[in-house]
Amino acid sequence: MIDNPIIFYPSFVLIILFAMITLFARNIVYSLLSAIVVFFFGALFFYVLGSEYNAIIQAAIYGLAVPIIVGISIMFCSPYYKNPEVKKYKILTPYITFLCGGIFLLAFVYLVLMSLAMSPDTFHYLGNLQVNSFDTIWAFAKGIFVNYVWAFELLSLLLLIVIAGFSMLKRRDI
Amino acid sequence: MYQYLMVGLLLFIIGLLGSVFVKNVIKILISIEFMLLGININFVTFATYCDNINFDGYVVALFYIAIGAVELAVALYLFYLMYTKKQSDNVEKYTDL
Repeated sequence: MIDNPIIFYPSFVLIILFAMITLFARNIVYSLLSAIVVFFFGALFFYVLGSEYNAIIQAAIYGLAVPIIVGISIMFCSPYYKNPEVKKYKILTPYITFLCGGIFLLAFVYLVLMSLAMSPDTFHYLGNLQVNSFDTIWAFAKGIFVNYVWAFELLSLLLLIVIAGFSMLKRRDI
Repeated sequence: MYQYLMVGLLLFIIGLLGSVFVKNVIKILISIEFMLLGININFVTFATYCDNINFDGYVVALFYIAIGAVELAVALYLFYLMYTKKQSDNVEKYTDL
């Protein structure tokens, strides 16, 4: 499947085409929709290359979560909210804070759950589990909890700091 | 292998050109995400073709995806705060914080 030209070349052309449309489209909504297509094709490339886990994370975060907050930002810049009669900031500030903070909270919960699921002590049968021919789960668990455990902990700490930072920015009411 | 590296390279170049020449802040942020996607494709490609035991490239790509989402959310919040003051999404008007 990796070297299948029927899958690769149409995907190659489409991902470059939609990336160009993202940059050159005059309507920002079309840019966002094209960017979503690019992110999904990126997930397809991850899947074709044998990294199904990265493909799922890419599709979930960049295909679904990130376009929501970008779409909220585009909505915030629309002419409707430029009307001075609309109290835009009072309407949008709680939503944007909630969405941005919620994404970080979800990411933090996801990291904790992933650490529980991938820890060899949690599921004793994990050593015998083989999802695909590359044995990706074992490689991920070894990479995250043995080789790159400090990077994993720092990333969790970074997410926690950003959640606290968002709440402090909201409290200061900048 | 080289065709996947070419995909990553082209995505990185498109993202780089977009982040340099485009004036819209949201398009700049999306271009930065394109650069990250190109880098991740290169990591996964090298892990698949050159490292069939540890798959370190998969793990690094996973970290980059998480950090990219963090960076985008922080940047969008900063953009939101700047937009409340400047009333524009043109990056040339953002000369001070």
